[in-house]
Amino acid sequence: MMVTVALINDTFREALARKIFWVLFGLSTLLILFFLFLLRIDIVAGATATVSLFGRQTNANPDVERLVRGVYGGIATFLYTWGMFLAVFASAGLVPSVLEPGRIELLLSKPLSRTHILLGRFAGNVLVVALNTTYLVLGVWTILGVKTGIWSPAFLISIATTTFVFAVLLSVVVLIGVWLESAAAATMITVALMIISPILAQTSLMMRLLSSEWSRNLWRVLYYSFPKVYELGKMTLDAIQSRTFAGFMPIWTSALFGIAALGAALTIFAKRDF
Amino acid sequence: MSNFREFSLRNKYWYYCVSWCERNARVDSEFAIETRDLTKVYISRWKRREVRAIDGVSLKVRHGTIFGLLGPNGAGKTTFVKALLSAVRPTNGSALIFGRDASLPEARRPIGYLPENHRFPTYFTGAGMLDFYAALSGVDATRRKKLIPENLELVGLGHWADMRIGKYSKGMLQRLGLAQALIHAPTILILDEPTDGVDPVGRRQIRDILTGFEERGVTIFVNSHLLAEVETLCREVAILHLGKVALSGKMQDLIAGKGYRLTVVHPPEALAEELRGRATSVAVRDGMMDFQFPSRELANGAMDLLRAQRCEIEALAPTTSTLEEVFVRTVQK
Repeated sequence: MMVTVALINDTFREALARKIFWVLFGLSTLLILFFLFLLRIDIVAGATATVSLFGRQTNANPDVERLVRGVYGGIATFLYTWGMFLAVFASAGLVPSVLEPGRIELLLSKPLSRTHILLGRFAGNVLVVALNTTYLVLGVWTILGVKTGIWSPAFLISIATTTFVFAVLLSVVVLIGVWLESAAAATMITVALMIISPILAQTSLMMRLLSSEWSRNLWRVLYYSFPKVYELGKMTLDAIQSRTFAGFMPIWTSALFGIAALGAALTIFAKRDF
Repeated sequence: MSNFREFSLRNKYWYYCVSWCERNARVDSEFAIETRDLTKVYISRWKRREVRAIDGVSLKVRHGTIFGLLGPNGAGKTTFVKALLSAVRPTNGSALIFGRDASLPEARRPIGYLPENHRFPTYFTGAGMLDFYAALSGVDATRRKKLIPENLELVGLGHWADMRIGKYSKGMLQRLGLAQALIHAPTILILDEPTDGVDPVGRRQIRDILTGFEERGVTIFVNSHLLAEVETLCREVAILHLGKVALSGKMQDLIAGKGYRLTVVHPPEALAEELRGRATSVAVRDGMMDFQFPSRELANGAMDLLRAQRCEIEALAPTTSTLEEVFVRTVQK
């Protein structure tokens, strides 16, 4: 346990030193401050009488709960797109840095397995992002809750889903980082997976468009193999806004992909000479 | 039992388990470090070229000695050290630490290691770095609190504990690296160029520290190209050349001073024992034996014995050895 804590602590220190933690923390704080100072919602008898944004008021009378859920959905979408991109870019260098000559030999000389070293780094990296996500989501949730009196626990799901999807993508970062020792390649391939996700999600449309059975099968294989970044984002949005749940398939297929990628990374790392 | 063994041998996984158990049953060993036929072959991408970095190296390092590994650039010294730490997987042979397979994490617990071109993370302070590596070595927080200032003081960095190591000079980093290697009270120290970049006063200080640890029974394995330093510090030495052990023996035997060195090809065991008794030192290398005799008479007597048994004599040469001369002679052969 002490060794695991030391490895996680080391990842945090490196994230702090590389300003990764502070940049993510700063951006989250900016977003929280935005909701704290710039969004004013005055409620009269359970409905919004006025909504004020950037000092401009509107007398529209939307349902306040729908409005709050809309805001939550917007933040969850933001987290899914830009937040995830930022996290992947920020984390890409944290694995290759451990593999630098002169640093890795010293780590390997210690009485711990290679699996332990890599998983410690992985866990530290996930925790850096999880901490920032929790800070942002809890901060916005508290501010909106206090301002509107509406406490929607569904929004808190986005802490789990964002962290989960990041962990899946991080396993790809780790795999490419261990294999090619390049932060740039790790970022490019992971971002490509994020971009390809909404395209692969159009399965029913593609089944109609593709003419041959083998191409349809290929599409299905790709769809089920790759992480469902898009679907998981949509699931979170649906859970927050309409409290519906589409099923577990995107979760377990993405988890399997993450486990496979991490397993491959651990195998490559265990066999490599340094 | 034999059926079980047969079954084990037939089944790959069982065989692996049995051999793993056999390897790890011997936790007590006469030697702190032992390699048997250790070989590492690097294969270039697309398998076009093979490089034998180390080739069948068998070495034994006794408890509590200071052992020096020498060799010209590219001799395989660093690969050998990395194989001891399991940073490099051997192609063939085995590396044992106190009789246990070096690839097992637990076998590395008694090792304190200082790499050659270390790259300590610059976000650490001196104390922070020691805290991190000590934790990885299994030192609990209470002991770390006590040991960190002690070890920093030992290497002369007591006042630099809270300074970021990005501000340290090369010599200071080397001292910090040594403190890192010592922090968990190891029983084997593996030091790759330990005085690299350190000023003469610092070198002496490091030598004194290492000698102190030798007196406490710590085995010290030094990989260095600074011959004078190895000559001063080490009790035993091995010279690697082209991935093989070209020469090994006790320092006092190898630098025997004035006299005659008789090189013999494969003498019979009984005769070798007889000559060993007459010689001041003996070194074994690549199928030959070097006997060092203090006088011409003794060398001639040995030659007579060898001739009587029709043994082949490779060479007889007068010697006035320093380690540098031994080294040059060995790698130029």
